[in-house]
Amino acid sequence: MFPDAESFDSRQIKLDSSQMQQLDSQGVQARSARWVVRTAQRGKTPLGFVVIDEVIGKFELITYAVGLGLDGAVKQVEILSYRESHGQEIRLPAWRKQFVGKTSASPIHVGDDIANISGATLSCKHVSDGVKRVVTVVDLARKNGALQ
Amino acid sequence: MNQSRLVAPTLKFLVAANLALLISSAGAQTPAGEDLARKVDQLGDELTKVKEQLKQMQDEKAAGAATSAPASSATASASSVSPNEPATILFSYGEINYNRPTKHTEDTQVDLRRFVLGLQHRFDEKNKLVTEIEVEHAVSSADDPGEVEIEQAYVEHALNQTWSARGGLFLIPAGLLNERHEPTAYYGVERNFVETAIIPTTWREGGVEIVGNFDNGLTLQTGFATGFDLNKWDATSTEGLESPLGSIHQELALAKGHDISVFGALNWRGIPGLQLGASVFTGGATQGQATTDSRVTLWDLHARWTPGRWDLAALYARGSISNTSELNQPLVGNPTLIPESFDGWYAQAAYKLWEHQEYALTPFVRWEQFNTARSYADLGTGLTPEAAKTERVITVGANFQVSPGIVLKADVQRFRENDDANRFDLGLGWSF
Repeated sequence: MFPDAESFDSRQIKLDSSQMQQLDSQGVQARSARWVVRTAQRGKTPLGFVVIDEVIGKFELITYAVGLGLDGAVKQVEILSYRESHGQEIRLPAWRKQFVGKTSASPIHVGDDIANISGATLSCKHVSDGVKRVVTVVDLARKNGALQ
Repeated sequence: MNQSRLVAPTLKFLVAANLALLISSAGAQTPAGEDLARKVDQLGDELTKVKEQLKQMQDEKAAGAATSAPASSATASASSVSPNEPATILFSYGEINYNRPTKHTEDTQVDLRRFVLGLQHRFDEKNKLVTEIEVEHAVSSADDPGEVEIEQAYVEHALNQTWSARGGLFLIPAGLLNERHEPTAYYGVERNFVETAIIPTTWREGGVEIVGNFDNGLTLQTGFATGFDLNKWDATSTEGLESPLGSIHQELALAKGHDISVFGALNWRGIPGLQLGASVFTGGATQGQATTDSRVTLWDLHARWTPGRWDLAALYARGSISNTSELNQPLVGNPTLIPESFDGWYAQAAYKLWEHQEYALTPFVRWEQFNTARSYADLGTGLTPEAAKTERVITVGANFQVSPGIVLKADVQRFRENDDANRFDLGLGWSF
């Protein structure tokens, strides 16, 4: 995700109620007030951010990682664990590439800027919602100076 | 494991970078031995750092998982898998349908078409059990029309990231609907005719299956399973004309196992939103209990494309039964002989017209043509039945999504051959 990184500096972000409301007003359910954001660093130079999260697919947990640039745009999405009997296709690089370049201003919504996968509708929706949430939380944290 | 996958590229990069540095440095400087030793020390330091970093990330992951468990509709029991993932999950789907034949309103029916309860238990990271029990038509007793069925009961074992194996009673990978038949997954109150009359959805068999998911977008499913039983063919009933294979499936209920069938399905989803696939199922069907052997074969081609708000689908399915001439000879004079071939196709277009939060309105139109007795084997002049007429049905309606797990449906269906069947349908469906 960040092959040039020499270290990852972890920060725990705690959203207050007004920030949670702000997310809600953007149509994003924060789900949790506490988030761990890792800043990839080469020496003292930050390269970007990584957030690891989990969502329910249809029945089971999907673990995924979102890598973001310093500008908050998605660099990469990796599916770390997918165990449903159906819908494995969300692991496909072609599907995950759709997220590259998305920012908190992007819809990140299945049927708009993210294509669905037949038979994996819920997994597509939940991962897309998850990426949107991560992008929005990191954007908020960046703007509040919580990641500096 | 997940952490190590994330860190692996970093580790590879560091090792590669240091080796490159090592090689270029060794060639450029003298004395080489001293420099080489320094570089090896440097590489060792880097590896130590990476190990520390991996441990740090694993610790943080464990702490993070404990504080941000995701919301779940699942019902948890004692977990042996992960502290934030239930080992046993209860799920369900069902539908209540209202059918009003427009020319015979006296036949209007409201039916709890099916109620399904599923239980999935994950024994560990690699092994799980998937089961579904279904009640059709609400009440099942000697005097009622309902049925109780086990729809799925299989064990799945993950061999690696690509391959898994299943054993038990599972859904055959055929068409677009058979494996994904929850009411929230298809358009229209009733399932389409082609994937009911030609492909006998919900079609399951007992056997073994391997599933491979490849990074290029291909999914391969293949295996051995029980098959159909032509000894069950009831020539006095019209059931065989409604769905030839639906009337002779065994559903693993004391299934005859003399003839084992083979099946395979290949689906490609290499372009987001596009699915192209094909399937085939073939096997003996007289089960060693008739003087004539016969083979049932069913294959299909299907495509689905979901660009933006559109959802487009098309499917063709064809079935055949061999040696029906010999099998039909003792049945001559009965209303329903065994067809030699049957087929059908449909094309469907849906468009998400309106969406607000979780609500979504998606009108659709579907055109279908199907023939459950496309041809009969020759029995001689005057004895060979005429092929059935191809039914053509247009369905126009809309799905209204109340939430991703709840759908309301309405549609109108017009039949070109049997227009007595024209009807108006309403439905309520759920799935979680």
